[in-house]
Amino acid sequence: MRRLRRPTSAISSRTAMSRRTAAASAALVVLAAGAAACAGPEDNKNKAGGDGKPQKGGTLTVLNSDPQSDFDPARLYTSGGGNVPSLVFRTLTTRNREDGADGAKVVPDLAESLGKPSEDATVWTYTLKKGLKFEDGTPVTTKDIKYGIERSFAAELSGGAPFLRDWLIGGDKYQGPYKDKKGLDSVETPDDRTIVFRLNKPVGDFDYVATQTSFAPVPKAKDKGTKYEEHPVSTGPYKVVKNTGDGERLQLERNPHWSADTDAERKAYPDRIDVRSGLNSSVINQRLSASQGADAAAVTTDTNLGPAELAKVSGDKKLAAQVGTGHFGYTNYLAFNPKVKPFDDPKVRQAIAYAVDRTSVVNAAGGSSLAEPATTFLPNQKSFGYTEFDHFPAGASGNPEKAKELLRAAGHKDGLTITLTHSNAKNFETSPEIATALQDALKKAGITVRLQGLEDNDYEDKVHDAKDEPGLFLAHWGADWPSGGPFLAPIFDGRQIVKDGYNFNSSFLDDKAVNQEIDEINKLTDHTAAAVRWGALDKKIGAKALTVPLFHPVYKRLYGKDVKNVVISDWTGVLDVSQASVK
Amino acid sequence: MSEALLASETPGVGATAVPAPASGARQFWRRLRTQRAALAAAAVVALLVLVALAAPLFTALEGQDPTSYHPALVDSARGGVPVGPFGGISSEHWLGVEPQTGRDLFARLVYGARVSLGVALAATVLQVAIGVTVGLAGGLGGRWLDQTLSRATDVMVALPLMVLALALLAVVPGGFPRPVLVALVIGFVGWGGVAKVVRAKTISLKSLDHVAAARLSGWGGVRIARRELLPALAAPVITYAALLVPTNITVEAALSFLGVGVKPPTASWGQMLTSADVWYQAAPQYLLLPAAALFVTVLALTVLGDGVRTALDPRAASRLRVGTLRTRKADTLRTRKPDTLRTRKPDTLRTRKDGS
Repeated sequence: MRRLRRPTSAISSRTAMSRRTAAASAALVVLAAGAAACAGPEDNKNKAGGDGKPQKGGTLTVLNSDPQSDFDPARLYTSGGGNVPSLVFRTLTTRNREDGADGAKVVPDLAESLGKPSEDATVWTYTLKKGLKFEDGTPVTTKDIKYGIERSFAAELSGGAPFLRDWLIGGDKYQGPYKDKKGLDSVETPDDRTIVFRLNKPVGDFDYVATQTSFAPVPKAKDKGTKYEEHPVSTGPYKVVKNTGDGERLQLERNPHWSADTDAERKAYPDRIDVRSGLNSSVINQRLSASQGADAAAVTTDTNLGPAELAKVSGDKKLAAQVGTGHFGYTNYLAFNPKVKPFDDPKVRQAIAYAVDRTSVVNAAGGSSLAEPATTFLPNQKSFGYTEFDHFPAGASGNPEKAKELLRAAGHKDGLTITLTHSNAKNFETSPEIATALQDALKKAGITVRLQGLEDNDYEDKVHDAKDEPGLFLAHWGADWPSGGPFLAPIFDGRQIVKDGYNFNSSFLDDKAVNQEIDEINKLTDHTAAAVRWGALDKKIGAKALTVPLFHPVYKRLYGKDVKNVVISDWTGVLDVSQASVK
Repeated sequence: MSEALLASETPGVGATAVPAPASGARQFWRRLRTQRAALAAAAVVALLVLVALAAPLFTALEGQDPTSYHPALVDSARGGVPVGPFGGISSEHWLGVEPQTGRDLFARLVYGARVSLGVALAATVLQVAIGVTVGLAGGLGGRWLDQTLSRATDVMVALPLMVLALALLAVVPGGFPRPVLVALVIGFVGWGGVAKVVRAKTISLKSLDHVAAARLSGWGGVRIARRELLPALAAPVITYAALLVPTNITVEAALSFLGVGVKPPTASWGQMLTSADVWYQAAPQYLLLPAAALFVTVLALTVLGDGVRTALDPRAASRLRVGTLRTRKADTLRTRKPDTLRTRKPDTLRTRKDGS
């Protein structure tokens, strides 16, 4: 009954993650926590109310709504290794812990440098740093990383990202180390410090993928299968001291065998991290704004400010200083199914694109501080290859005249009646508020919109079912990593249409030129060059009016008054726990 | 109800035997009239009904409609809080505008009255119709029928209305007109109380001479029910119904509040409360308006229902000292001949109230 503003990152992750597995619920939860990290140097950014340099010590409390369930590197599905998980699990590469756009870059973590690609980016080689240790002091070798990756293939450890299954040679058949003792041949470890991945296709973005927790080392001797999540062996600055109620409360303390000398990214100022979850979002925001007792040194990695809370906070200077603003690569849009009449006619789709009133949609999503109008499918960040374009300029509040003209040309002189499918989730994304705002805007163009509101699970099943997909629905997409690939390929690559199962190519676009360009860009290992081409591809696809981009969300999150060194990257859009200090 | 009052007091065979049948209605109005609170409540209810019926007229007067967005009237950068004092109250928007959308609150409130009152009244009619039918059938039918219906009634009374309604509303496909559906669900779920009252009353009436006489003369069950029982049942049923209306309004509001009632963009008070609850600090009038509308409506209907009960209850009526002058004779006359049935009524009423 209360209006929950779900962490958009959680949802985004969900969208991205549920890619191949409809049952990605576990994944989402993790993501919520996971999608929340980013980082930066401690130098000039004591944006929090604090003064002076960040100091070591103290306890940082994390107040969350979703628990850290299945806290096992094989089962977590995160963007960039997650926020809380990244405190415990180090991976081959990781996010650059910097503010803004710099934070969308990938940097080495366990590896000395980024991967060395060869053979058209189908073979990737990494070399480990020296002196890496587990929390018990044993050295980390590439065998442990290979074992960790193999574990993520085990059916009993479900929930992780699907990419390696799709890309590693033989990955589609491999059953995990418990059933298949021989291991996965496409991951080679010629010596203790070298690891080689052999892929079945070029993946220029492999460094981004290597940030995911499945790339964290797991010592075979300590593996207890599904029970490993109770006490995973840490390589990060903190180790798990107590895990209560499957991640409902997670208490972390310093890992004495972690050394800042081998880790340029994690600052690890607090001595202890106490992650508490199961809290209502309004309670979290209330506690953070009150900042009493331990809550003064608290942050949240999964709860945004809602519009009403923002209205209250922005009127209070002291509280306004305790708000962190971030951008996560994410787009909310109207999706067409061109198989359903009248959306088979490009003129009708264009008319709707012209009629959309982005001002009222943005307001419905929480106003200009929480959402930015979108005319491109790619998020408005450089790392994605953002290229500005507006094929069907609707202006700030829609162009109903142009829409009417197109409808007349399409043979709908007396207007049109269409159905818009949305969910009843209270997420300000695919929810009734957005749908009614669009309904009002399209009315001005003579388009009568009937609303079909579905329960959230129902909605997810229906819009991803190739046989049952509605003609017009509210959709959203978030990226697994900040690049154009995971944004455009799943939605517009014709070979990714899933006829029986979860389908994300909702417009059923199967265009040879588009498919070929996707393949070509995937061969590029220069992210900057790739970004330019992703942007051009977005512009090209945008002209087909298969979607109407509506808005990109902006994250506003409160943190306690004693929290310093707040770093928010464009990779996750939320405060990075590994950078925050409470002293 | 005029016949109702008199028929039950008359040991004759039919209502036709009653002298001056119109006096019952007059008596009722006389008794109601003496209760100022009930009269005030009746005036408020009449006004609300008028507002609901003439909603388009009222909004036309204001020059607004309940669904148009006014993005310019909200401060987008601050989460969409209305621009201007008191939630954007102006000569164009009499009660201000809704946060985030800028939709006119007066228009939404007025149209919301249609949903609240319409659904509640329709549901009440349904509850009474089902309740009376089941109660009469149980009271007049054989043991087997009575037992079956009574147990069914018990189940309906015992089941939490909200939970059942939530489940029912969630499974019906979205295409069904929502206000009708909500009325149907509340109506079909909430008839247990009426049925219990009617059955109990029917059983006690059955043993009375006029009913026995009707039976002996070979009348069928339906005819007995219609001619002998229904008139006597009218008073308790009307009283009960008058108190059901505010309950149903609350239920509709609660269902809409929980998101299974009427769907957007249709305005309903319960739904306004849902979206307003997070705004209580930033835009308090958004929450206060539907809350006040609900409060006033439910209070007025409850007071009116109470007044109706009092006016239909001879014992309470005598305490009102109705018609101390000219009409005193008639009243004292009538109130002086209460039979066993009459005196039992206040009790049944009370238990009914507790049970509801």
